[in-house]
Amino acid sequence: MLKASALYIVIIIALVIAVICSSLIVSAYFYRAQYQKKFRYDRLENNLSSGVNILLAGSDTSYAAEKTFSLFNGDADSVSLHRISWGIYDVGAVRAFIQKDTLYRTISFANPVDSAKWAAVYLVDEDRPFSLSGMTTIRGNAYIPKAGVQQAYVDNKAYQGDKRLVIGHKYVSQKQLPALDNTRLRQLEQFRDQKVTNDSTLLKADSVTWSFLKPTRFVNFKKKAEVLQNIKLGGNIVVMSDTTLTIESTAVLKDILVFAPTIVVKEGFHGSAQLFAADSIRIENNCTFGYPSCAGIVRSGTQVVKSQARITIGANTTFGGILFTYEKTDNAVKPLISVGKSAAVSGQVYSQGILELKDSTRVSGSVFTSRFLYRNTFTLYENYLINTTIDSKALSPYYLTSSLLPVAQKKKKILQWLEAN
Amino acid sequence: MAGSKLNGRVNGSTILEVVISMIVIVVVFGIAMMIVTNVTRLSLSGKKLRAEALLQSAADSAVISKTITLEDFRIEQEVKPCQQNSALLDVHLTAYDQNQQKVAELEKIISQP
Repeated sequence: MLKASALYIVIIIALVIAVICSSLIVSAYFYRAQYQKKFRYDRLENNLSSGVNILLAGSDTSYAAEKTFSLFNGDADSVSLHRISWGIYDVGAVRAFIQKDTLYRTISFANPVDSAKWAAVYLVDEDRPFSLSGMTTIRGNAYIPKAGVQQAYVDNKAYQGDKRLVIGHKYVSQKQLPALDNTRLRQLEQFRDQKVTNDSTLLKADSVTWSFLKPTRFVNFKKKAEVLQNIKLGGNIVVMSDTTLTIESTAVLKDILVFAPTIVVKEGFHGSAQLFAADSIRIENNCTFGYPSCAGIVRSGTQVVKSQARITIGANTTFGGILFTYEKTDNAVKPLISVGKSAAVSGQVYSQGILELKDSTRVSGSVFTSRFLYRNTFTLYENYLINTTIDSKALSPYYLTSSLLPVAQKKKKILQWLEAN
Repeated sequence: MAGSKLNGRVNGSTILEVVISMIVIVVVFGIAMMIVTNVTRLSLSGKKLRAEALLQSAADSAVISKTITLEDFRIEQEVKPCQQNSALLDVHLTAYDQNQQKVAELEKIISQP
């Protein structure tokens, strides 16, 4: 028997419609919630990028203390900026927040090279010629002494390179090297000489990466000759010593600073760090220092020092970044940078004194020096380059230098994105 | 079969049941239509998302104050020196649709090209 049940059918239809409507409401709610999340995220991203631009355009001293402010005097545009002088580069920490939502970025930034001042070779004019022998290549502009550049016959080998000798423009150099930036040198000295509390807990862990959003952690070995080994250190960490510090190949360093009178990096080391010494830095064979690294001798004292300031790069080592020596007072023994056999430097070498480039060394970038040195078993040649390549065109077009060096532009660009959320 | 007598009874709904059913179904449809309209009206339009994407791409190349038309949107571009650093530019972009309704807005600090 058929039953007419109009009410039942209507209730079922109403239920179906209710289910469809409620699913529509729920999906619209989630869509809207997700959109609002994305809208807030986009807004934070914009504020963050504005903060980064402000930091890049600011002067060296601006935002040295963390500063929080409203970008456009609105209610959802607060940013917090902090700039840290990190060795020869700068590190910036930017935070953008709207109520409980926060986005942060930490970046390191540096200066593009000034093409007007850039040169593959800058050799100070000491009234003697500059001689090339063997398979030597100089590609890029060169500032050379008035006496000029010439071919030479050394170790029974004639010059075999390009007939032009210098593949680029030749300019006459001055009697002095273009000076390093005093502000950056002062910042380095202040950083080195500050009184710090030793963070003894840091070396107990086998791997520490410390954020630039937090206060810097210092490890100070004081007068104890220590060896850094079987440890991974990265980020906002400074290692200091008042005597020799040895870094073993089992230590992995990333972006940290090291200050010590003498630093020895053992054979086979891999990493990127900025090393600053007062007396010497010895990097042994087969090491790899990734860009941006730095090895620098800074002697800011006015007293005369008898020992030679020296940076030694071992054979087959690759170094990406900047090698420099600085002495405030002229000592009798000039500082020396010695680059070992078949070693490669991608970046810049600034030697206030002597630069020794051994056989088959390669510098992709720029070399500023007062004097070149080449020695074989019996003889010592000054201002000779033998079997060496200095190629400024081989350097990446994205290479950034430090404001310390005289070829830096004033404006800043991002060197690395260090941290982000 | 034509002409044959009905043997059984057919249970039909009463007129009251039918009227109530009709009222219920009309009310339910009415509510459903209201919900659909509200959800559609209040949910974000593709137009708004498109306008926001356009503003994002236009922001980094903004140099001077002007009004531009891009994909059915009128974009008002206001560029002034930044408060924090005069070497930077404060770019304020507002997108309007064809009915001159504000669709999206963006403010950003950029470096001068």
